[in-house]
Amino acid sequence: MKTEKKVTINKLPTGVPGLDEIVGGGLPEYSFNIIAGAPGSGKTTLAHQFVFANATPERPALYFTVLGESAIKMLRYQQQYTFFDPAKLPDAIRFINLSQVVLEKDLGAVLEEITKQVEKANPAVVVVDSFRTMVRRPKSDMDLQAFIQRLALSLASWQATTFLIGEYAEDELRDNPIFTVADGLFWLRQTTERNSIVRKLQIIKLRGQASVPGLHTFRITDAGIQAFSRTFGLTARAKKAVAQRRLSFGVPELDKMLDGGVREGDSVLVAGSSGTGKSVLATQFIAEGTRIGEPGIVAVFEERPQAYVERAASLGLDLETPQKEGKLTVLYLRPLDLSVDETMQSILDGVQKIGAKRLVIDSLAGFEMALSPGFRADFRESLYRMIFALTGIGVTILSTVEVDESFTEFPFSTYSISFLCDDIIRLRYVSIGAQLRKIMVVIKMRGGNHAKDIREYEITQKGVVILDTRLEDYQGLISGIPAHTDPTKKDEAPSDRIPSRK
Amino acid sequence: MPKMSTSPEIRELAARLIAHESGVGKSSEGTDSAALSVYKKLRQSISAFAGAAAFESLAFRALMQAQSEAPRLRAVQITEDGSIEGLAELKFQIGDDMDLAGEEGAILIARLLGLLQIFLGEALTLSLLRDAWPATAIDDRSSGNWRKS
Repeated sequence: MKTEKKVTINKLPTGVPGLDEIVGGGLPEYSFNIIAGAPGSGKTTLAHQFVFANATPERPALYFTVLGESAIKMLRYQQQYTFFDPAKLPDAIRFINLSQVVLEKDLGAVLEEITKQVEKANPAVVVVDSFRTMVRRPKSDMDLQAFIQRLALSLASWQATTFLIGEYAEDELRDNPIFTVADGLFWLRQTTERNSIVRKLQIIKLRGQASVPGLHTFRITDAGIQAFSRTFGLTARAKKAVAQRRLSFGVPELDKMLDGGVREGDSVLVAGSSGTGKSVLATQFIAEGTRIGEPGIVAVFEERPQAYVERAASLGLDLETPQKEGKLTVLYLRPLDLSVDETMQSILDGVQKIGAKRLVIDSLAGFEMALSPGFRADFRESLYRMIFALTGIGVTILSTVEVDESFTEFPFSTYSISFLCDDIIRLRYVSIGAQLRKIMVVIKMRGGNHAKDIREYEITQKGVVILDTRLEDYQGLISGIPAHTDPTKKDEAPSDRIPSRK
Repeated sequence: MPKMSTSPEIRELAARLIAHESGVGKSSEGTDSAALSVYKKLRQSISAFAGAAAFESLAFRALMQAQSEAPRLRAVQITEDGSIEGLAELKFQIGDDMDLAGEEGAILIARLLGLLQIFLGEALTLSLLRDAWPATAIDDRSSGNWRKS
């Protein structure tokens, strides 16, 4: 059989950061789309971003306004966004008001007017805002269906990519003929979760190409809408082949416990209670990376970047120089109303910008607190997506997590996330003699050997230092209240046993 | 309440548009007709993108403001569809004082442009005007960018 070429559907940029990935690479050219949602959900802004990204004087955009928001006020507000380029008006983007025709005539006249303008301008993009007000009172369902059908046909014939904007409720999805005719259906939602606003976008339908399913978070900022794909924009990227390289922690004895270091592309969890040195260990990990030329990102939630850098300096770890050299980014993520997707986007941007190999999330508890309450319920699932996505591109992640110290249990994390981690290092206090000392143990190292030893360590001016002498004379160390195997012997103080470092 | 006025730059622009229309009409119809012609073009342009009702609201507001500055404009009215009545007749009421007549029309146009600037900003207002007039009628300003009145 003769093989003939299939039609190629060009993909147009949406003009919305993150949305191209969600829709499968861009919006199909000549498609007939609906943007639906409640008032204030960002429908007009989304349409404007598309228009400004695609309109040219040769193939302009026609933006029909009907009843509802006044075009003057709409432009007054929309021009505040950074994507709004006034120079594109009126040659590349033309606003046309149809109120008079809608008020005084029937749908046939509306179609006639739109067609007339389209024939005159030969537009690449047509927007009708709000389409809902235009068809609020059709004579019959058939009248409406015929109108939509003819409008879609006419605009497609004129090779225009079309957006109809409407304030629709979700229960209208079943019966409204417009949703049947549409090639693409974008639904914007806005809900209040306690004191935070959560905005989500769903591509309910998109003919001709695979979009990323599910609800995607979006935010409206001075730059307009920014969408955050559930897959973090990583589905389109090829998996990075990760060499089984070992990354040093910057703590020689710990590297030995890890059979040479953390495997590149692993997700490491450092769990321990307050003051056990989780952040110190994390800082040593990132500092060791920058020292040997591996760029890194530190996402901090509980302290400001400057404080983080200063604390590292007090341990003799220089984070300031790699920051200046562009090898290290300390991200302080604005707390309380973030979504995981936004956080991820910031981290991903950082990873791409400096080519980061190591990422520290300090801490998961802080991360969870920084999220909008509505996202906290999905924290574990979101974390899974994030870790999977980042390790997939070869980034080695170290997360710290605070666990409640118990003298009867040995929990790894309060989030039940240990299955997300390839490697788990547990830090804890033990009561020996009249002292609260610290021990470290590698609980898990997926696909690799690791030391089974329980090692005592100290936090010194040089960071975490694992002591040479083993606590072999004690039993029940992980209980936190070990007993000396020989009760007649006196406990040895750890300060006598700190090894000298090179 | 302080009396609001239009900036010199906007007045200058209004005068330039009127002068341009006057030139197009070869001065046979006089300056008031030129102001009317500017008004009509603005009406057409603004109604096309924002609707007749939006233009009527702006024009009515502009007229109210202009009347406080030029009391003779009280004889002028804006109709429901945004057209203006009485502007063309104004010059006959004030006889041969053509400068004064031109000034009355310019005040109204300047007020209308001032409102556009307030709501749409300089860039979009100029875009709108460039669509209705040739660039030479808009852009040969010696005073640079508009500033807030």
